[in-house]
Amino acid sequence: MKLRHILATLSLILAAPVCLEARDAPESVLPNYEAWSPETVHAFEHILIQDDGRVKPIYTVARFKLLQFSGRTSASFSTQDGESHSLHYAEWLLDVLFRGEIAKDMPIFTIDDSETVVQIGVSPKSKRDKYSYNELLPGRARLAELAQQYAEKQQQHEQSEKDPQFELDRIEGMVLNLGRNVSAFEYLLGQFGFTRPGEFLVNENILPDELVALSAKIDPIEMLDRMPEMTINQLVQVIQQPPSGDEDEAMFSGALRLFFFHASSARGLNIVPPESNETEEWLSAGDVLIKGLESKEARPWAKEQLQSIQELVDAQKAGPEQFQKALDEYGANQKSIATERGEGEHSALEVQLYRGKWFTRALVFFIIAFVITALSWLSPASAYGRIMIILASLLAIAGLVLNVYGISLRCIIRDRPPITNLYDTVLFITAVAVFLGLFIEVVTRIGVGTLLAVFSGVAGMFLSIKYEAKEATDTMGQLVAVLDTNFWLWTHVTIINIGYAAGMIAALIGMLYLSVRLFMDFAGKRNKDFLRVLTRMNYGIICFCLFFSLVGTVLGGIWANYSWGRFWGWDPKENGALMICLWTLVILHGRMAGWIREIGVHMNAVLLGGIVTFSWWGVNNLGVGLHSYGFTEGVWRSLYLSWMIMAVFLVMGAISWFVERSRKKKPGRSDPPPSKPLPA
Amino acid sequence: MATQKKDTPDNFLLLVYRFLSSYKLATVVLILMTLVTLFGTLGQVNHGLHAAKEKYFYSFLFTDKIGSIPIVLPGGLPLMFILFFNMVLGAIVKVRKRLKGLGLLISHIGMLLLLAGGFVTYAFATDGYMAMYPGMKTNRVESYRKWQLEIIKLTEENKAEKLFVYPSEALQSIKSNEQRSIPGNGLPFDIVINGYSSNAMPVPVSAPIAAGVQAKQIDGFKLAPQDKSKEAEQNLPGCYLEIQPTGDEKPIETILWAGSYKFDPGEKPMPFIFEVEGQKYGALLAKKSWTVPFEVQLDEFIFEQHPGMSMARNYESRVTRFEEGKSDTSLEIKMNEPMRYEGYTFFQESFGPAGSQPGDRMYSQFAVANNPADQWPLIALCITGAGLLVHFFMMLVGFVVKSFQSKSKPKTA
Repeated sequence: MKLRHILATLSLILAAPVCLEARDAPESVLPNYEAWSPETVHAFEHILIQDDGRVKPIYTVARFKLLQFSGRTSASFSTQDGESHSLHYAEWLLDVLFRGEIAKDMPIFTIDDSETVVQIGVSPKSKRDKYSYNELLPGRARLAELAQQYAEKQQQHEQSEKDPQFELDRIEGMVLNLGRNVSAFEYLLGQFGFTRPGEFLVNENILPDELVALSAKIDPIEMLDRMPEMTINQLVQVIQQPPSGDEDEAMFSGALRLFFFHASSARGLNIVPPESNETEEWLSAGDVLIKGLESKEARPWAKEQLQSIQELVDAQKAGPEQFQKALDEYGANQKSIATERGEGEHSALEVQLYRGKWFTRALVFFIIAFVITALSWLSPASAYGRIMIILASLLAIAGLVLNVYGISLRCIIRDRPPITNLYDTVLFITAVAVFLGLFIEVVTRIGVGTLLAVFSGVAGMFLSIKYEAKEATDTMGQLVAVLDTNFWLWTHVTIINIGYAAGMIAALIGMLYLSVRLFMDFAGKRNKDFLRVLTRMNYGIICFCLFFSLVGTVLGGIWANYSWGRFWGWDPKENGALMICLWTLVILHGRMAGWIREIGVHMNAVLLGGIVTFSWWGVNNLGVGLHSYGFTEGVWRSLYLSWMIMAVFLVMGAISWFVERSRKKKPGRSDPPPSKPLPA
Repeated sequence: MATQKKDTPDNFLLLVYRFLSSYKLATVVLILMTLVTLFGTLGQVNHGLHAAKEKYFYSFLFTDKIGSIPIVLPGGLPLMFILFFNMVLGAIVKVRKRLKGLGLLISHIGMLLLLAGGFVTYAFATDGYMAMYPGMKTNRVESYRKWQLEIIKLTEENKAEKLFVYPSEALQSIKSNEQRSIPGNGLPFDIVINGYSSNAMPVPVSAPIAAGVQAKQIDGFKLAPQDKSKEAEQNLPGCYLEIQPTGDEKPIETILWAGSYKFDPGEKPMPFIFEVEGQKYGALLAKKSWTVPFEVQLDEFIFEQHPGMSMARNYESRVTRFEEGKSDTSLEIKMNEPMRYEGYTFFQESFGPAGSQPGDRMYSQFAVANNPADQWPLIALCITGAGLLVHFFMMLVGFVVKSFQSKSKPKTA
């Protein structure tokens, strides 16, 4: 292969993500799009919000909201003026909150199967496409109806211990998901509706005409001054009373209904710190409206909070500079209150974590390192090959540093050890696997360790990005009470995941050995030294895996004994870990029994990889046990695929074994010398 | 010659010893253990945890299917026994005692202790729960899953005195179509159970579902057997009970159902009340219970959720322990911080009633375990971990040294 071909291939690989990005820009009906200034976006991203039990920057919420709707962290579309736009999630949320009419025309709802929109009576585009809110609007009523129906069916499925008759099919699941996403989008659109009397971004159709007409005259913030002090129940009774014909009463009832409409539309984004430091829960604008309505004492505070939001909305209309200033002031005020309360102290670090894209950057390093490793194979024994391997190793170290830096930021932000959920395991296991690969390279210096490191890095970082997009929820969520112990998270969880990483590396070495061995068998040139080094390498890794899996498993049992009163409960996650320990012991004892030699060690290492993936991902999705983290759609499909790939390598191993057997049986052919024994 | 030697009794014993201490046996047992663990894990999806444990791990033999192919495998219990003896003979007795094998020897001793601990736990440990509202005091622990038949005598002050208990093991052995007579030793009546279901529901005969239930009708109800729940704790057993007075009085029939038992520590059980020879008695299906040698009073239950979420952040109980002849002790029991005392361990397990919010009156539930091997796993871990560490460190040093040595050798090929 000539160098220019290699470079062309390399550039294609590196450019692939860019090409994909450029290709995926669906058309919008928007005539044009005016971008937010970077200063405005920067001021906005530090706004604090309490979400999922913790105070975090709105930047994080924007990221996961957009991921939830579109599966991407950017909103891409082209406008009628022929321009293509790719909005960062923070820019997108700014549009949703402050320029809702524009956001409604942005195609952000990813529909994987056009049958989903057909079901709600919307004309489909291509099989998999993106739709804007306005494009889905004609089917909104039908969507609500179907989503409700499927949500009930899903609930029945849960309550009936997963009776198959209540299981949602693929399209039903997608309709339900779309219904939830559209509803969540509407909540975002309606957040600041109370600041825009007479303007309705969503749900206008659910109000009678007289209320729509009345809405232009009603300012919910001003209303607080005029309202009598009544409980919510009393006010609801006023609304529910049949009309008496009295005009003032009708006006009061109508105003009250509008007030409740705005209050319920403005729930969900908890950006207002509570009045008292003794209260933990932050409030949404809707909560503040209700609080002001309920208590005269709270009204001055409530009005102050609502007016500061009003000022934000007014400033956005006034111009970019005013808006940026207002956002800065709002954020600074929030920050000072949060600091006093001991909350959101790492919000800037959290913005840095996501803005830095450390894991994506690590992936890029690993991909380049992988390509360079592949290029080294053109002349592996030469100085060129050695230089390429060293270069790839350095890039892998850089990728590892970025990964570890990202993990460290996550630890600091949460004040937790590296692993508290499934997403963390991907990052951590990748880091350990890369480290193990590099350690092997330092010891063996034959390029295999680097290959293992960069392959693990690419696969792990890719998986982490895909998993985050798939789940589309904050990956730094709160922990249930039993997990609220840094000691056990540091010990049991960390150690058992080191065992998983070693198990995966063992499987990779096994696959490498089996494929290389088969290739050598067919080529008629067996490099016994190389194969023997691989076997010794794998044996060491299997022992490493056993040590960490065993210690981690027993530590888990001890933790369970402290938390639940039993050392071992045959819970699926415990069993998964036990199976890893048992299989490593099978390999070690089988080899001592003389049943397993080189090929056997590697074939069993591949099986070990299958067990690790089952323990790591599979048992969480069985839907039973104390460690069930919830179902992740598509996991079984991916697992079956990985097991099929492993099965291919096992077949390769079986062929090699038969080849060896047949060679031994052929008369006159000298038997290959027996494998050098491995240490006990 | 060799064949003749094999036939002698001494060599036969040697063969058995070699077989029992062999790596091959260890390998086979470990493979089978892996398979049993896999089946037992997947089996929990259909059977639930408790039933899967009984079928796969605590059995001597079980049958299952791979697709449509039936298979028979040994259960976890015999495999663990064989593994234990294999380790004793192979890794402790037979193994050559040398420095190189020191780490492995130590680690196998640790594993033996772990297995022994497992057996002690299986054979001798008890577990149950204790639930109480703040202000309540008790020393009674109830079983999660075992139900027994209790006959009580109601005094004139309407107080209950437990007179007779038909134990859970015997009760659960009664089939749904079996009739079993139980002599009421000392009681003026005998007891007959006409069928027992470990999960059942009384249904009114007017209900459409009752038409399909082939069972006796009593007071407008039939007892409909239900499929066992995957969560064994949720099974509510039921039976037909007949009281046969030893005098001239007529027999009394009723349906006893576990749903009449208390499920909230604030409630009282509702026994079936009947009268024989002018004395009021009650019959009920009650959870098996036992006492601990001290009383525990719940002083305060603290329940916190993450702000804005329904996820529990913390729940803990402040309790006082009372024991005769000793001063009262106030302490806290919370997640990951149990109370260990006189061989019993109290864990903060859960709370109720379901759907309670912070500020509601809530009860606290403790898991109460009595396990003589409670701390054995920790000791076993220390021993095994140390052994493996020694062994693998020696191996790693050997591997690194050999790798560098092989690199420094001139290449000849």
